[in-house]
Amino acid sequence: MIEQVSQALMFPFLFLSMYFQVLLLFSFFENKKKIKNEESLTVTRYPTVTIAVPCWNEEKTLGGTIDSLLALEYPKDKLRIMVVDNNSSDSTVAIATEYSKQYPDIVEVYVEKKQGKHHAVNLALEKTLAELFGCLDADSFVAPKALLTIVAYFEHHPEAKAVTPCIHIRNPKTFIQRLQAIEYLMGVFLRKAFGQLDAIQVTPGPFSIFKKEVFDQIGGYRKAHNTEDYEITLRMHKNRLKVMNSHKALVYTVGPSTLRGYFYQRLRWARGFLENSLDYKELFFKKEYGNFGMFTLPMAFLFVFYGLYAAFFAFYTAVSHYVNVLDRWASVGIHPKIPTFDFFYFNTTITAFVVMVMFTMFLITLYLGNELSDDRQEIYHNFPFFFFLYPIIVPFFLGRAVFDTFTKRKNEWVLQDTKNSSS
Amino acid sequence: MIDTKKYLFTFFVTVAIFTTAFFASTYFSSKRVESVKSIQDTIAIDILSSETQFDLLKEVPCQNVNHSMLSLELNIIGDKLSHTENERGENDEDVVYLKKYYSLLQVKDYLLSKKLAEKCGAIKKPVFIIYFYSNEGDCPDCKKEGYVLTRLKEKYPELRVYSFDYNLDLSIIDSLKAIYRVESALPALVVEDKMYTGYKSIEDMEALLPDTLKVAELASSTASTTPTKKTK
Repeated sequence: MIEQVSQALMFPFLFLSMYFQVLLLFSFFENKKKIKNEESLTVTRYPTVTIAVPCWNEEKTLGGTIDSLLALEYPKDKLRIMVVDNNSSDSTVAIATEYSKQYPDIVEVYVEKKQGKHHAVNLALEKTLAELFGCLDADSFVAPKALLTIVAYFEHHPEAKAVTPCIHIRNPKTFIQRLQAIEYLMGVFLRKAFGQLDAIQVTPGPFSIFKKEVFDQIGGYRKAHNTEDYEITLRMHKNRLKVMNSHKALVYTVGPSTLRGYFYQRLRWARGFLENSLDYKELFFKKEYGNFGMFTLPMAFLFVFYGLYAAFFAFYTAVSHYVNVLDRWASVGIHPKIPTFDFFYFNTTITAFVVMVMFTMFLITLYLGNELSDDRQEIYHNFPFFFFLYPIIVPFFLGRAVFDTFTKRKNEWVLQDTKNSSS
Repeated sequence: MIDTKKYLFTFFVTVAIFTTAFFASTYFSSKRVESVKSIQDTIAIDILSSETQFDLLKEVPCQNVNHSMLSLELNIIGDKLSHTENERGENDEDVVYLKKYYSLLQVKDYLLSKKLAEKCGAIKKPVFIIYFYSNEGDCPDCKKEGYVLTRLKEKYPELRVYSFDYNLDLSIIDSLKAIYRVESALPALVVEDKMYTGYKSIEDMEALLPDTLKVAELASSTASTTPTKKTK
């Protein structure tokens, strides 16, 4: 009885998940020509740009981050790099100062004593006079054409108030980084497809570029449960400011290299998603906020809970199966047999067919993500890590995030844990 | 802006995929039932043929009556039926029909094998177990007993196990229950015409089996493991 009820409850989840997938694929293919045309957009006017690099003990990667910004194909008299140190105890400030001496017209160094990324970025916002403002985390690196590609969007789409880039994991080596490589590749497609619905969920920390007027209108960054980039996007949607995606603006970020680091980063993101979504609950199911308010935000919120339910269901099914196997072994001992192949025993339930279609659609989104980006990823090498580990890890951080959110548990220490495991 | 048409189109596409999945699943499921039924029909013909040969025994020598493969086929069909029951549910009309058919075939096979063994004096005399189970949740040990019997069948090829759903509404099962005085205490096992109730482990069951079966098994395993001597 329990099995039948829980199985029946899975159908609405499967239906909604498939609906979501179909909607994204449809929105993508419907605008394929438009997306292709975006690739040939050119720049005739170069607006001034400030890129803030908030730092907190970034001595290992800061040099590379600044070098990648200096290598941007953009007039140097229009570009400012503001390194904002946030109480680093390593040689971050010394490295940044060295760059500012070498490139006094481009690199500026500031110190923000108030702890928190949002304080650091807001200091840069106070100092800048540029038309465009962006942020690049000090563990991320930009491709030379990234800024030019994004600026082209602002020129050809005056309604665009922010443009997000295409993010890849930099040199994925460990199994958890390989898993993230696939996750980010999925993100490449999702961001583009959400963009077609005017429903981009987040302007990510690495190299999302905003018109400075956005901050003048809606204010600077907030602490926002340690996910300031999600909160600013919600605020933009609330003020009906358009966010676009430039799929050719390549940015590389260093993903957490350990399971622990990954877990705490995702826990922070998931908690931030839940808390901020609840803070902006007035956006839910409101027509004036378009597809974002009516569909994608409520669906994403619902999927956190349905995802947990699906995980519980899968876990229950797997445990029942293995309990039976153990029961058999306990009764008659272990007698391995050579498995025989018989079509008769193929799973031909509705769920099996639906899951098969959804999995195929997921593979298509990965393929499309890879095609969109100029940098092809090693799908075949990385996919097994994603396929086998992702479904196991996700329920843990989602479950914990839901628990922490509803018990109002403090999680400031999560930031430190993420940091220690990133390099 | 919300494009209602897009949402509706997506809805219809999703419904179409689900409907296709539903029809595909129904199609394959009915094919599966058909395949079980077709094997059962073949077994029915084989049993009828063996019975007819048996009736002609006075004119036909014993070795011409070929019945040894039937029990094996019944085992295979039993596994498939059990898989179909798990997938479609025990109350599914087709499943109930197939189970009744299967139960009848088992009884016929049991009677015929018994007669053949007696009259023809088989070299490896088969040993019979009749097993009554229930999968309505009132027999917690039935699943374990099933594992034990499956293992015994693998170990002793001459062992013939006939399984009957205690709750199946079929007069032949009622007759068997009456003959062996099977009450509601399950699992119930009839080994060499003696009734036992309650869970019997693999060791308990082996103690109940006649020695001839174990000797035959030992002989065949020794033959298969003894290396052949090289001749000089």
